[in-house]
Amino acid sequence: MADQSIAGPSGMTRLARGGEDGDRAARARLAIVLLAVMLGAAMLFSLTSGASDASAWAVLRDWVSGAVADGSATDMRTRVIIQDIRLPRVVMGVLVGASLAVSGAVMQGLFRNPLADPGLIGISAGASLGAVAVIVLGATMLAPLVALLGPMALPLAAFVGGLVATLILYRIATRQGRTSVATMLLAGIALAALAMALTGVLVYMADDRQLRDLTFWQLGSLAGATWQKIGTAGPVIVAALAATPFLARGLNALALGEATAGHLGIPVQRLKYVAIISVSAAVGAAVAVSGGIGFVGIVVPHLLRLAIGPDNRYLLPASALFGAAMLLVADAVCRTIVAPAELPIGIITAAVGGPFFLWILLRKRGIVDL
Amino acid sequence: MNAVVCSFVRRSLLGAVLVFGAASAAAAAEDGDVFADSSRIASIGGSLTEIVYALGQQEHLVARDSTSLYPQEALKLPDVGYMRQLSPEGVLSVNPSGILALQGSGPKEAVEVLKKASVPYVEVPETFDHEGILAKIRAVGKAFGVDDRAAALAMEVDAKLKAAEQLTAAVKQRKRVLFILSMQGGKILASGGDTAADGIVKLAGGVNAIEGFTGYKQLSDEAAVTAAPDVILMMDHAGPAVSDEELFANAAISQTPAGAARKVIRMDGGYLLGFGPRTADAVHDLAVALYGADLGQ
Amino acid sequence: MIEAKEVSVFIGRRRIVADVAFTARPGEVTAIVGPNGSGKTTLLKALSGELPYEGRIAVNGRDLAAMKPAEAASLRAVLPQATSLAFPFTVREIVRLGLLGGRSGALAGESERLPERALAKVDLDGFAGRFYQELSGGEQQRVQLARVLCQVWAPVLEGVPRYLLLDEPVSSLDIRHQLTIMDIARDFARRGGGVVAVLHDLNLTAMYADHIHVMQGGRQAASGAPQEVLVDPLLEKVFGCRLRVGAVPPSGAPFVLPQSAAVS
Repeated sequence: MADQSIAGPSGMTRLARGGEDGDRAARARLAIVLLAVMLGAAMLFSLTSGASDASAWAVLRDWVSGAVADGSATDMRTRVIIQDIRLPRVVMGVLVGASLAVSGAVMQGLFRNPLADPGLIGISAGASLGAVAVIVLGATMLAPLVALLGPMALPLAAFVGGLVATLILYRIATRQGRTSVATMLLAGIALAALAMALTGVLVYMADDRQLRDLTFWQLGSLAGATWQKIGTAGPVIVAALAATPFLARGLNALALGEATAGHLGIPVQRLKYVAIISVSAAVGAAVAVSGGIGFVGIVVPHLLRLAIGPDNRYLLPASALFGAAMLLVADAVCRTIVAPAELPIGIITAAVGGPFFLWILLRKRGIVDL
Repeated sequence: MNAVVCSFVRRSLLGAVLVFGAASAAAAAEDGDVFADSSRIASIGGSLTEIVYALGQQEHLVARDSTSLYPQEALKLPDVGYMRQLSPEGVLSVNPSGILALQGSGPKEAVEVLKKASVPYVEVPETFDHEGILAKIRAVGKAFGVDDRAAALAMEVDAKLKAAEQLTAAVKQRKRVLFILSMQGGKILASGGDTAADGIVKLAGGVNAIEGFTGYKQLSDEAAVTAAPDVILMMDHAGPAVSDEELFANAAISQTPAGAARKVIRMDGGYLLGFGPRTADAVHDLAVALYGADLGQ
Repeated sequence: MIEAKEVSVFIGRRRIVADVAFTARPGEVTAIVGPNGSGKTTLLKALSGELPYEGRIAVNGRDLAAMKPAEAASLRAVLPQATSLAFPFTVREIVRLGLLGGRSGALAGESERLPERALAKVDLDGFAGRFYQELSGGEQQRVQLARVLCQVWAPVLEGVPRYLLLDEPVSSLDIRHQLTIMDIARDFARRGGGVVAVLHDLNLTAMYADHIHVMQGGRQAASGAPQEVLVDPLLEKVFGCRLRVGAVPPSGAPFVLPQSAAVS
């Protein structure tokens, strides 16, 4: 314990605003309400901003007044922009943002490390490999699969890639029914390197057309949002996220270590299993539809921990709301800043998130480096 | 177009259709290749924009993509982004009455949504040969309803191309040309078959020094030596410029005839690889650069 | 009663605990003593169900290996030697984790204030709002004990005795708090629960233990009441040095025994 850093008193008071009794539940509940309002505002902002002057309100009015039904509605173009471009993007932004942030929070709880991230242990790399394989080999080796699954092939391959990576990790790190989280972390790094190497081979095999699809996909973007993709990835993400509230108490106990969590009555092995499966499902599905969007998984839970404390009962839902809102705002910015062209969203999340994160780290130095 | 390339293109299109379940580019051409209303057109693809200007239809343009850099006046049009990463709302925001797009514009999702917004979408196929350029010109002319002008331009370009090709017809000793797209970190990214670079080298009477793969790929040092190019061909303004010193300091390049003779040709990327109205001139320039005084006059 | 028969524990291929028989009765403080590396902590980890073992361990007659974590948690609470914490929890949040299983045995209305009461018990009144990482090692250890107490607040629940398993509970405490903590353990036993504690301090052991279990080289060296176990030949053999029970230092050098202290 001697090596634990002791935070300066000023830093502590700032952080400890939960009150004298150390109970930050009320504060966390309030934060969740505020974040929900924030997400609502972000959705509205996202839906009403874009390169064109299409009005979301006009489309809404048409639906409400029945003008859509009788054909007297606003022109088709406005409706397509709102209903087929912006709305699916908003929905996908919410799904992807929530799933990345919650997955980050769950992984950090599981690995007891604020730097853990699905990207770190090879889940994202595995998902990438699956997606890239479909893009590159979809016309040759994997053609039967692609013919069978149609548009589901890419998201499914990404999902399976993430899952396979996770299962391999799990097998490597589990001995006598016990999963060593440290082994898993190390094996994950090795596995990520391997998956990236295989992806590299595929990239090398790719032709120009495929390379362009790859680059687009790897940059990470919500630009490809369609209702079809939401129909494929949405249920997976929603199901995975729905499982996480049941993990919250167990993850809290896990902060004291696996043994102590077990003593407290947590079925630790099952907790790990459910956590890993739901994270790989959520991340696989998110990566499949939006490519690799970094940073959300680490920054969002971290900021929230500073604001409302590390209690996962509040941290997980708050991460979902904040992650979704953050991604929507970033996406709205990248859609409008160079209009009519578009920036990849990864640039915005990193360009805005990076300095902000550094600022937080500097300000809270001493508390952050636990 | 040779049969191999043809089947290759068809195969990858098929793959794209299967993967994304979208109406494919191939289907688009059948949708109709004439704009009902050509008053507000977004032109996607550098060579198409050039052709539109060459046909005198520029007053109809309301937007271009980031590869449309010629002629100079085109730069004044709003840029809707890279042709392969179009933002559908960005394109729609210029309120186009039609979209003229080079084959391979995308992504598919964007194209799909644009079609759904009932904006006429004309896709112009591209092949990297003599006939491909003429077909492109005719397709653009047809889209704007100026078939006659297009026919005239095509004839003119055809004649110039033939003249340029004629230059090298008598050359016996064909030069082997290595097109280098980039040399980041000393790694040579070279052009194989089925690329614009491959096409222009052939038109100019050269031989692509690289055989055995299509598209642009990283070349091992050994492969570069084996390719034994007589000339290195590079673009003028692409990425961080590679100086002659850097180029010929490369161990592999220095082992080649091109390295020994320090022979490198640099040309503007859009001019060299555009496969548009200016290509005849580019072929001529490249042929002269390759064979110089040897040209059979 | 916690009863272990022919228990062996392997870590990797090494047998750390070999064929140990062990009994801890409700109403008693049972101490496990022995030199470093004698398998005390490993034995305790087997008793808590943390490590897999060979042989049979029963808690109140029920097979430990067949218990679900939640069931085991309702019968015993465990204080590990050291606990590291991953995230900046407040003291109250840590202590509250003891209530996770919902079987503290406190009265319905008491549960909410239980963390404060447990903290008061370990002499950490008013620490609830502090950050765990901000505390000293000894304070952290007492916070963990408060958490453990919350888990089995009632020593007997629904007629069934419950147990505290404590691994060196006083190792980083000053003498006053050593006594405070051992008093809590004894009180827990007096009220019908059972306590198993790994201890290094033979004086505290002599003072508080009702039954002592001596380990040596992974095997049981002796087991019995303090008077039977804390005798010169046995201690010399087990600890490998000359020891005299009850000998006063020669020539009036000062010595302080916990037996002489009184917690105010």
